[in-house]
Amino acid sequence: MTPAEENAAREQAFRRLLRERFGVEGEADAPLPDDGVVVDRAHHVDLAKALHKAGWQLYVTCAATHFPAVPGKKPTDATTPECFEVATVLRTVGPGSHTARWRVKLAVGESLPTLVPVFVGADWQEREQFDLVGVHFEGHPDLRRLMMPEDWEGHPLRRDYAIDTPHAPWR
Amino acid sequence: MAVNESERSFQHPLYEVLERFPGLDLATTQVDKLLTWGANNSQWIFPMATSCCGIEFMAAAASLVDLDRMGSITRGTPRQSDVMVVAGTITVKMAPRVKRLWDQMPEPKWCIAMGSCAISGDFYRDIYSVIPGIDVAIPVDVYIPGCPPNPEQLMAGMLRLQEKVNLKRAGLWSPPETRPETPKTIEPAIKRLLHQGRDRRIDAAQIDQALSLELPVVDLPPLPEPAPEKGEDE
Amino acid sequence: MTAIARARAPRPDPFLDIDSYDPEADLMVMNLGPQHPSTHGVFRVLLYLDGEIIIKAVPYPGYLHRGVEKLCEKLTYAQITPIVDKNDYVAPMLNEQAVNMAFEKMLGVEVPPRALHMRTLLAEIQRVASHLLWLGTFAMDLGGALGGGTSVFMYCFREREAILDLFEKLTGCRFHYNTHTVGGQRHDIPAGWAAEVHRVLGAISDRIDEYEAMLSHPIFLKRTKGVGVIDAQLALELGLTGPLLRASGVDHDLRRDAPYHIYDQIKDLKVAVESDGDCLARYKVRVVELRESIRISRLLVDNVPEGPICGGRPIKQPGQFKAKAGQVYVGIETPRGELGTYLIAGGGKMGDTPYRLKIRPPSLHALAVVPYVFPGHSVSDAVAILGSLDPIMGEVDR
Ligand code: SF4
Repeated sequence: MTPAEENAAREQAFRRLLRERFGVEGEADAPLPDDGVVVDRAHHVDLAKALHKAGWQLYVTCAATHFPAVPGKKPTDATTPECFEVATVLRTVGPGSHTARWRVKLAVGESLPTLVPVFVGADWQEREQFDLVGVHFEGHPDLRRLMMPEDWEGHPLRRDYAIDTPHAPWR
Repeated sequence: MAVNESERSFQHPLYEVLERFPGLDLATTQVDKLLTWGANNSQWIFPMATSCCGIEFMAAAASLVDLDRMGSITRGTPRQSDVMVVAGTITVKMAPRVKRLWDQMPEPKWCIAMGSCAISGDFYRDIYSVIPGIDVAIPVDVYIPGCPPNPEQLMAGMLRLQEKVNLKRAGLWSPPETRPETPKTIEPAIKRLLHQGRDRRIDAAQIDQALSLELPVVDLPPLPEPAPEKGEDE
Repeated sequence: MTAIARARAPRPDPFLDIDSYDPEADLMVMNLGPQHPSTHGVFRVLLYLDGEIIIKAVPYPGYLHRGVEKLCEKLTYAQITPIVDKNDYVAPMLNEQAVNMAFEKMLGVEVPPRALHMRTLLAEIQRVASHLLWLGTFAMDLGGALGGGTSVFMYCFREREAILDLFEKLTGCRFHYNTHTVGGQRHDIPAGWAAEVHRVLGAISDRIDEYEAMLSHPIFLKRTKGVGVIDAQLALELGLTGPLLRASGVDHDLRRDAPYHIYDQIKDLKVAVESDGDCLARYKVRVVELRESIRISRLLVDNVPEGPICGGRPIKQPGQFKAKAGQVYVGIETPRGELGTYLIAGGGKMGDTPYRLKIRPPSLHALAVVPYVFPGHSVSDAVAILGSLDPIMGEVDR
């Protein structure tokens, strides 16, 4: 197989897996949306395990995002509640490397099951996202702050955190 | 601000010995010259190299520029050094450590702020985790602006420091360096081009100016109507 | 059971409870960093020692956290390039390429062939400079074993200066170039530059033989062979990429496996793979890459296609690009591994700035290996291992 064919076959396998086992809507072979698939929170770890088994062995990254509450356009419209999104990216190694990425939507106060038992590399990434965005990872063996000092208040990468927050006595 | 320790007069045990013998105190001028020469030409550096400017510092210590020929050897410990070169961004987490290392250096000591990050925080100035210049924590003798300053500029800074040391040893007054003033970088008061709430006349003048340079013409979007100013969406 | 045997269990436990450790042992706690001449920046590791042997290592990064991701949320797409330069300050060209590729993918901007060719060329020359800096500092970390320790450092910096001069001719800066933009390049190749590239790279490739002869020294071998072994399984799970992964025996290189720019046109790209996973293997992989990058750059510099260097409209205003809502991920191969950019664009009113920009630094994953490889080694080996990982703290902490 040429690298390009290999990549296409992986893409196919990824789509099938998502649609058949993890309840993603759409035809089994239809292309996935450009901005990544949304997977239910309950499937997060199972999906990672299944992909790990099927050849997506390299843990690439995870990115948490904060979406603050958005008031409706008109006063009568309902407010979109505050929520978080955690995107995960995995990769296959070797020619035709394919990236699998999906995201999980979380409401305020909801936590995400950790991926550390599957990929130990998730350890620091999840600590970082916990530190900067404030998403809680359930079952993480050592969930401490990674970047900011231990006594820091707040999570800097939240959208409602002021960029120039003072911190006595240094700034 | 902390007391500038290097402002204090220079003491050396040799003077005490000399003053004990009558007649020998005449020798102090010569000894003083010797000591000044020594102090000037053996300024050992303690590199507080935290980021990119640290790489330029390494380049300055390496073969092309070679700070060694000024007698400025890099030491890994604060207890054997005279000059602390703060090269790089200092964060809130790092600042207490810099202060402690500075306190561990023996007198007399000097500090060089290398690069705009160490001077004022550069464009990280307004960020929650960066301190706006190392002179918040320790006194600075020489400022070397640049992002990063070239190795040659660092060398020029070392020469400025030598002058300063000379003046101080001669009991003369050297004008203190002041920190270059930095405007607020995140949101300039004048606002950006085509920003709502910016004066339309400034926009028009700038666009005219750009067009008068006879650059390839681009189709600019129409100027927005001036709207009442809103807060930045945070 | 000796301390070495105990700590070199199949995979040391990074969360080892130190209170349950042998009460008879001669325990000591030592702080390596944050300011230590060998930690390549500001990195702190807390070492628990049993005599001379490390039994547990707890790393503390974050001493250079500059909030780059937060700053990028405030700047428009055209303004971000000079900011990300400062992340990985040993290979700034590749940082610029990584974010700009993500922006181009998001905004749908075409890059002309000449710009793509130039990007590939600049990336390869930058790789040479970056590996040279690594070689110099690594030899210095190993210390007095190598004829005073600083000789290789001095030589490597001499060659690196020559490359920085090349870049200065092209962009006007020694580093922090700001030469990439959304849609292409800002500085065209000046006249006579190609000949100069040939001269500089030719000289360097001759001298690499000298360095190799210098470093094939019994003491160097003793200090690197079998030290800091990372097995392939651990490397994959931790997300190690680049030379570290290849030194552990995994044949994976994004330039060949997920080609971007014009890497798919380079047919015989040689990917160096070593199977030992120790410091010596990492050194060998990087030296082979050094030669390969020199070869590719000399190949590319001769046939840069004619044409414009920037597609689309030249950038006249900071807010000229507007993105629709969406998410993309782009990964490229830097000297340290896969540098990824996860970009979330907000549409509508927030269309001209990224909503969230997550940078995936290869060095952060490289440092996550510390609790797994340090146990069982002495402190002097720890310094050698840390040097061989080639971490750049600016990109670890961002
Ligand atoms: S002044 Fe510029 S080069 Fe120096 S540390 Fe700051 S960002 Fe880096």
